[in-house]
Amino acid sequence: MLKELAQEKWSGKINSINIGATKEEGGSRTSVVKIGGQATLPFIFNDGDIPHRPVIAAEVWDIAPNDWSSTLNSELEDVYSDPVSWSKKLIDEFKVDLICLKLQGAHPDLGDRTPTQEVKLVKDIISNVGVPLIVIGCGDDSKDNLILPACTEATKGEKCLFGSAVQDNYKTLVAACQADGHNIIAESPIDINIAKQLNILIHEMGFGLDKIVINPTVGALGYGLEYAYSIMERARLAALTGDKMVAQPFICFSGPEAWRAKEAKASIEEHPEWGKELERGVIWEVLTSATFLQSGADILVMRHPKAISTVKGYITKLMEIK
Amino acid sequence: MEKFKITFYPENKVVEVDKGSTLLSCAISAGIYINSSCGGDGVCGRCKVIVKKGSVLTQPTGRISQEERKKGYVLSCMSTVQGDADIEIPPESRLGLDRISVYTKAEEAEKGKSVIGEDIFIHSPLATKLFLELSVPNQADRISDLERLYREIGKIKEMPIMQTGLANIRRLGELLRSSDWKVTVTLGNRNGTTEVVLIEPRDTSAKNYGVAFDIGTTTLSGQLVDLNTKKVIGTKITYNKQATFGADIITRIIYAQKEDGLEVLHHAIIDGMNMIIKDLIDEHDVSLYAVNCCLCAGNTTMIHLLLRVDPTFIRRDPYVPTASFVPVIRAAEAGIKINPRGLLSCVPGVSSYVGGDITAGVLSCGMNTTEKLTLLIDIGTNGEIVLGNKDWLICAAASAGPAFEGSGVTCGMRAVKGAIQRVSINPKDFSVKCETIGNVSPAGICGSGYIDLLAELLKTRAIDKNGKFHSDKKNKRVRQGEQGMEFVVVYKEDFDLNLDIVITEADIENIKRAKAAIFSAASILVKHMELDFSKIDQIFVAGGLGTYLDMDKSIIIGLLPDIEKSKFSFIGNSSLVGARQALLSLDAFNKSQEIAKKMTYLELSVDAAYMDEYVAALFFPHTDKTRFPTVKI
Repeated sequence: MLKELAQEKWSGKINSINIGATKEEGGSRTSVVKIGGQATLPFIFNDGDIPHRPVIAAEVWDIAPNDWSSTLNSELEDVYSDPVSWSKKLIDEFKVDLICLKLQGAHPDLGDRTPTQEVKLVKDIISNVGVPLIVIGCGDDSKDNLILPACTEATKGEKCLFGSAVQDNYKTLVAACQADGHNIIAESPIDINIAKQLNILIHEMGFGLDKIVINPTVGALGYGLEYAYSIMERARLAALTGDKMVAQPFICFSGPEAWRAKEAKASIEEHPEWGKELERGVIWEVLTSATFLQSGADILVMRHPKAISTVKGYITKLMEIK
Repeated sequence: MEKFKITFYPENKVVEVDKGSTLLSCAISAGIYINSSCGGDGVCGRCKVIVKKGSVLTQPTGRISQEERKKGYVLSCMSTVQGDADIEIPPESRLGLDRISVYTKAEEAEKGKSVIGEDIFIHSPLATKLFLELSVPNQADRISDLERLYREIGKIKEMPIMQTGLANIRRLGELLRSSDWKVTVTLGNRNGTTEVVLIEPRDTSAKNYGVAFDIGTTTLSGQLVDLNTKKVIGTKITYNKQATFGADIITRIIYAQKEDGLEVLHHAIIDGMNMIIKDLIDEHDVSLYAVNCCLCAGNTTMIHLLLRVDPTFIRRDPYVPTASFVPVIRAAEAGIKINPRGLLSCVPGVSSYVGGDITAGVLSCGMNTTEKLTLLIDIGTNGEIVLGNKDWLICAAASAGPAFEGSGVTCGMRAVKGAIQRVSINPKDFSVKCETIGNVSPAGICGSGYIDLLAELLKTRAIDKNGKFHSDKKNKRVRQGEQGMEFVVVYKEDFDLNLDIVITEADIENIKRAKAAIFSAASILVKHMELDFSKIDQIFVAGGLGTYLDMDKSIIIGLLPDIEKSKFSFIGNSSLVGARQALLSLDAFNKSQEIAKKMTYLELSVDAAYMDEYVAALFFPHTDKTRFPTVKI
């Protein structure tokens, strides 16, 4: 009779990262989010320590999104115009752990908001909410290189998480985060080799490996989810067997990805056989997010309040197995 | 159809063309070769010309900058003739076929070094000349003229199967009598038989020459050899003129399917070969009639195009060539201008993507005869890797691109006189020291120069491990160029050049891809045999990279595996050496057939691990640093 489950002995572990700094630590946050530190695969408590639970960040934009699905609009439309109320709503009512502010409106094609405007917004949020902050650029390299350093400077000491450093544009953001004491998101296109290469490049600039969070780029359910899963699994296995260059926590943008899927967005008129879009979109975001929890996500970036509540409950249940 | 006159400058060459012809095709018909990596699809932006005067209809393209547009620049493949016009071809758009600039004496590495020694094979060239003094027929000796000839040959050589063509037989009776029964016969080894190729009056046996060729996708190398003494008379190298129709074999095969495409590609090869032959014989005062045979080693596609055989099926699943073992034919049938009755033979290939060039490489390095576990890495446009020893051989091909041959990179050139092949950079002030082949003023950078340069840029941290320039105030040589960031290797003022010699981020990217393709192919091949690099006893590195190759620096950039340096030898153009050996010895040629039959081909494109290995190798030296333990950058 087998008496015990076979145990894996891992030699490596994932780096621990603190996002946010309290007054005592030189910032102004009322809470600090701790992630990473795992010495085992996701939720395999038997093989090693899992010191922290995965966390959820709510995605908030600097401009009102005009292409989000009606399911999202029905919950959030009233706060779109005010990112501070948007953040507060999700913190107060749905208890998200962090706010992920996407500076989409800085994009030259989507409003071209200035560094001054974005700095003011970031400061507003910092002074009105207590949770730690993730700040994501607009995706236009040259514009991001203007707005992000301005924002890192404006939030110096708050230990935010800034993104995204990519292989062809990482130097400016790394230097800015280094100077202002922030953490950084290193984004790679579903490729473990590029993820590792980027970490090496960032580290070679003198940036600590323990301040990097990997965005492995994920796909929604039905859109390459299993591929993203296998890349994350490979990275985790490498990290747990001692490769320090991929031993970083993961951030997964499961919400934005899920809401890009037509199965999440399409109205019941378009596809009557798919059922009510109100439930369908939320289910899509929940399933996508839940899968990435199982792949090792440390931070999930999500959109819909109902999906956030459901996944939060799921995380609690998973952590109870312990 | 309306005809117009197009004048090309600075050549001042005029061609008359149909309305609507592209400027690229006009240039080709004027005998001017323009760069065009994409084969005329308007994608690569390398075929820029300047419209000085006249009417040309050009399609909009992002490949021409505002400033260039003002100066009259257009893409020659995207511009059609609408009237008479004057067109200037700027130096950067030229394929570098000018005899003066590129077509210089081949250096040692381009010729290649034989590893196994020249005397290992029995001297039995593809064509042999024998001077015969036949006995005059009389009542007692009345055998026929032809039998008389055979009898005399049999006294000198053991040649059981003889054949003679009707043309020679027709001339025989008159020729023997008018030359007083003193003639020279040229015998050719032709597919297991011996053929009387040519009968000439008097003794010309001292003048027996052959040419060996390496026909590469990017480069054509030819060598004139004295078949009696085995001496190399001269070597010439030029770019393969087919480069106008695409940089890689796939683009060429696609081009061959166009109307007249096959004909055009075939001519581009034989024109280059005939030019080399003519220049070699003129320079060394050898008569065309004394050149009796030609032996070619080339990749499978090039051999198809040389013979004007449709290469279409090479790129269609299941990738089967029309012929890998080509019988010996008359050179004139393929359009090669040597003695009209001279022979043409090709070193046999293995598969569609591993050709006779690699068989020749194996032959010349002798890896098929040794106990030692050997790896042969041939760095060409199509990088080929062979692993094995006398008991087994396995090979793979990787599409590396022409960067190491000096093509597709801003200031690249062949490893000829004036090419920068050694570089060192001072880490304090980024000053550069260069050494050129022939110690003359620099004209460009060859393969080994690029390897040195990259290693130095990495060591001095001028670039990151991804190949992008760091901004460093001390480094005045890094600047924003027309094609992005670049590093100035040589300032034009220092040597009175037209342009600075630079390396751009795009060049580095090209070289990075080339080295990644080669390293990952080698690494997959070794893994496939459940070995690792440390188990290999010797590594031969072949290719026309330069007259020397710095192994340390090749390891720093991750081109070659990080193992003991003493195991490496750089053998230059091993394909040309193998071709010469097969030209000089039937024995060697037969060995090459054995090699081709014995070699197993591993198709990398169906190997799931290859892509992953390749992306991991797209970094300096490699994403997995533990595989390059001695590299400290």
